Amino acid sequence: MTKVNTVLGPVPVAELGIVAIHEHIGYGMPGSELDTQWWKTPEQAYEETVPKLRKFHEYGGRTFVDVTGICNGRDPNYYQALSAKTGVNIVACTGFVGGDTALAHFARASVDYLAQVFIHEITVGIGNTGAKAGVIKVGVSRGGKMTELDQRIYRAAARAAVVTGVPILTHLAIDPKPAVAIFHEEGLDLDRVLFGHADDGLNAPITPHDYIYDQGGRIGFDTFGYDLELPDPPFWGRKRAERMAHFKALLDKGYLDKLMVGVDANCSPLGWPGVKGHTVNYLFEDMIPDMKAIGIDDDTIHHLLVDSPAEFLGMKN
Amino acid sequence: MTDTPTAGRPTVNTVLGPVPADDLGVVAVHEALLSVLPGAQYAPDISMDRAEIYEALEAKVIAFRQAGGRTIVDSTGMFHGRDLTLYEALSRATGVHIVATTGMGPEEKLGGYFLTPQTNPPTPWPAEKFADLFAREVTEGMVVPRIERRAAAGMVTTVADRAGMTPTEESLFRGSARAAAQTGVAVSIRYGADALAELDVVLDERLRPDRVLVGDLDRTDAAGDPGQVAAAVAAKGAFVGIDHVGLNEDPGYLTDAQRAALVLDLVAAGHADKIILSGNAIGVAKGLDAYDLPYEHVLATFIPFLQGEGLSDEDARRILVDNPARLLAVR
Repeated sequence: MTKVNTVLGPVPVAELGIVAIHEHIGYGMPGSELDTQWWKTPEQAYEETVPKLRKFHEYGGRTFVDVTGICNGRDPNYYQALSAKTGVNIVACTGFVGGDTALAHFARASVDYLAQVFIHEITVGIGNTGAKAGVIKVGVSRGGKMTELDQRIYRAAARAAVVTGVPILTHLAIDPKPAVAIFHEEGLDLDRVLFGHADDGLNAPITPHDYIYDQGGRIGFDTFGYDLELPDPPFWGRKRAERMAHFKALLDKGYLDKLMVGVDANCSPLGWPGVKGHTVNYLFEDMIPDMKAIGIDDDTIHHLLVDSPAEFLGMKN
Repeated sequence: MTDTPTAGRPTVNTVLGPVPADDLGVVAVHEALLSVLPGAQYAPDISMDRAEIYEALEAKVIAFRQAGGRTIVDSTGMFHGRDLTLYEALSRATGVHIVATTGMGPEEKLGGYFLTPQTNPPTPWPAEKFADLFAREVTEGMVVPRIERRAAAGMVTTVADRAGMTPTEESLFRGSARAAAQTGVAVSIRYGADALAELDVVLDERLRPDRVLVGDLDRTDAAGDPGQVAAAVAAKGAFVGIDHVGLNEDPGYLTDAQRAALVLDLVAAGHADKIILSGNAIGVAKGLDAYDLPYEHVLATFIPFLQGEGLSDEDARRILVDNPARLLAVR
């Protein structure tokens, strides 16, 4: 049996059901906790979060993969309570959203040390919570190119993925050549890497989708819903129809087995205003209907939301 | 409210509220209580056992009190392990006043929120935003992240990179100076490569020089002879922080014998009212090397040594009690 670490313990992949693969309970840049403008009472945080997860569950969603990095407000105790009360599996990550979100203690660290941190969080647990990480998050810092620190984190993540069998999700799929080289050098099958945000408005034009596919990497269309049609779209927004057409074009090329979809929403953002009107349930309320409207069939949707995530998330050893 | 004990007397912001400046007694000005390299609190190999941390701090603070110390300034700022509820308990239990500080630095120790914010482009924070963040820690209280504000910060503290001040550190210095000017607390700067030039950055914000403590003036890389740099800082009217007393084996710093000579030279030059002595001791270190110098080292060891070298009792009191009180009094 293949299993996945959730914050409440391992579950069989057979039980994962519909998966939201790249999400956040709440995300904030490190240091944002010092700025009171973002503070919320616990009442407010639960009020913003619980109904979304309950709705997700009602729609048939069963697993929520939280990719909030170590220094970004990741809060496994909170996720444990949310999961227990809503029935949604929550998978927490180890790792960092990008080198520019790793605080000094980690930014100064060696590959070996970072790999030990990741392995510890996957095999022993995060802090004293008992929650074990189920995926590793890495990413490209702001600026468009992988920094030396980004690369150190990718290499440590690759080593931890090889040892533990959990997959890697990336923040951004731009500048993938150094990443691919590192994964090859560390002996990690590219099928264990989901190159994320390949669809966002700012980065899609500079993301080499075919190169990633040819290398055997997985491609994340995981910012569905950050549409330029929103009243106040973020800078990474994209025209809704354009994103879907791009997605359909890759499906038509036969990329289905390497594609995964998500919406990267915050249930209750921690250090930024968030994007009003965008929730994890975009998946059910907008994305799936949009897919059906352009002729994507139920089997394909099932593959995207259930089969591929199960295969990807299942720990390989 | 006319008969409050602090009415009409200048006060100092401690973690338990304002205290009359003339009640501070002997002060250790540049010290750390709990010092955490940012991020170390999340490391699986580092224990953050509160009871253990408290026990270690309490023993050291009690030793300081027994030696005659009355006030400790935790000069680590707002993002280096500052733990206000722990310090309140510690102050209550030991009777030692604890002054906690706001501020941050150097850039390498900042969170991404300040350096690569979620805007396009990700422009680092300018001085006015740092000024507002730090000033609110004085006017509204210091933050326990995402939970509450507690007592007012007693000083703003900031640090520049040893390789030279970065543009964001200039924003930090200017923001710290503005926060100090707005709120009346002092600012402590630990210079990067050039003490005098960096002092000028904060003075350029129209902050009175006697509201500035220039720390690290017992480093040997002050962009000039340490004695001359310290005298020049004093001549500008700022406080001279000779604040690694007890550190004798580091080639980057003067020895205590050299520090003593520097102190006596400054006194002879008429700068006794500008001298701040401290040890930069670390009560409990997480993610960085321990530095177990007793908080009372200056008071119990170095001052008697200076007195043996000719420092008058009056100047000793000035350095240990009066100068810190003038520095820390909210004006």
